[in-house]
Amino acid sequence: MRTIELSAVTVEFPARVALHDVSVHLDQRRIAVIGANGSGKSTFARTLNGLVTPTAGQVRVHGLDPVRQAKQLRRRVGFVFSNPDTQIIMPTVAEDAAFSLRGRGLSRAEIRERVGAALARVGLVEYADAPAHTLSGGEKQLLALTAVLIGEPSLVVADEPTAYLDAANSRRIARFLLDEMPQQLVLATHDLRLAARCDIALRFEDGRLIDLGDPASVIAKYEVDQA
Amino acid sequence: MISLYRPGDSALHRLPAGPKLLIVMALALALSLAPADPWLLAPAVAGVAGAYLLAGLGPRDLGQEAWRLRWIVLVLAVGQIFFLPWQTVAANAGRVVVVILLANLVTLTTRTERLVDAIERALTPLRRLGVNPGRVALMLSMTITTIPVIAGYATQIREAQRARGVPLAPLAFVVPLLIMTLKHADDLADALTARGVD
Ligand SMILES: Nc1ncnc2c1ncn2[C@@H]1O[C@H](COP(=O)(O)OP(=O)(O)O)[C@@H](O)[C@H]1O
Ligand SMILES: [Mg+2]
Repeated sequence: MRTIELSAVTVEFPARVALHDVSVHLDQRRIAVIGANGSGKSTFARTLNGLVTPTAGQVRVHGLDPVRQAKQLRRRVGFVFSNPDTQIIMPTVAEDAAFSLRGRGLSRAEIRERVGAALARVGLVEYADAPAHTLSGGEKQLLALTAVLIGEPSLVVADEPTAYLDAANSRRIARFLLDEMPQQLVLATHDLRLAARCDIALRFEDGRLIDLGDPASVIAKYEVDQA
Repeated sequence: MISLYRPGDSALHRLPAGPKLLIVMALALALSLAPADPWLLAPAVAGVAGAYLLAGLGPRDLGQEAWRLRWIVLVLAVGQIFFLPWQTVAANAGRVVVVILLANLVTLTTRTERLVDAIERALTPLRRLGVNPGRVALMLSMTITTIPVIAGYATQIREAQRARGVPLAPLAFVVPLLIMTLKHADDLADALTARGVD
């Protein structure tokens, strides 16, 4: 039951068409989304959790409509943005992680336990009470990821999650997303090495889905076209 | 000016957030109503210093917190010095410093989460007037989160200007700061939505 399905999805902004008649059926664990700047990667990613509403067509993510069933969907779909600074809602590390668990009827003790375990998994437990803004960029992104995973989603959508990070932190985040977590992943990225580690790759150009399939061959064609 | 929680196990740390807030508010009110007399202020200063020690915060922390208030003190003092005798000015400034130090003591010894919960509970009776206490609490928390971020942007802009040798022009500072802040608010709104707040 981890199917992502778009049928004839178009997203129009006042000045341009960001997604043009996209239809696709995906059930792989790791799904890469590649393409040049402005090709529609983010728009595609954002339709999956209802941050963007399609002008036409239908989206189904794990059986849910991201716009009409937004509340249920956002419990099952976690979203990691590029900028580590704009994802932190609460003042301290532990509070920010705990924020994802509010409204679930958990006791304070349960929340504390789950937050502690989740922070330990990414090596942030010693910063639990630290103001979140004192973390490094890489640590903030790990916190963002923790805040997503603690909600136990079934799908993680990550929009260029390593764009702001140095090589070491990028590797850390990528290892987590690609190798360690069990959830389905949609990864929009400029880093073709990350795309190559996925199970399928989608390539966008000017809002159209122009290629999909085995990442190695999709990437090879993309590189030829770019040259 | 908002000092975040320092973990500890003192009596002040253990005092529940609600009563702690009430006590500090009562003390602040009393101090504000008391005559501006330097001799009345002395015990207040001693009391605050004692409370910091009780909370396990040393003279260094107290000094740091007080030093951060220097601009406020300056503005207050300059505004009054022409109209009032200097003893009164000093007492007024001292009073404000003591009140703010007391307020800081609350945030230093209380998890923000507990503080916000207490405020949320205090606002619950206002629900009938259309106030949504949960919203207010979330806004408070986000403000506390965001202040250091915006302060960071301000530093970035000042450094960028200094690096280019641009003299400090107010407009060249405020405009980019405003743009960065609005962009931040926009991105944060997306993050809130993505995390299930509607
Ligand atoms: N909120 C928006 N308003 C107007 N235009 C937008 C908006 N979001 C994206 N676009 C436009 O849609 C196109 C695709 O953008 P995007 O999906 O962000 O591409 P990518 O992530 O691949 O760089 C771009 O031309 C972009 O300018
Ligand atoms: Mg993008």
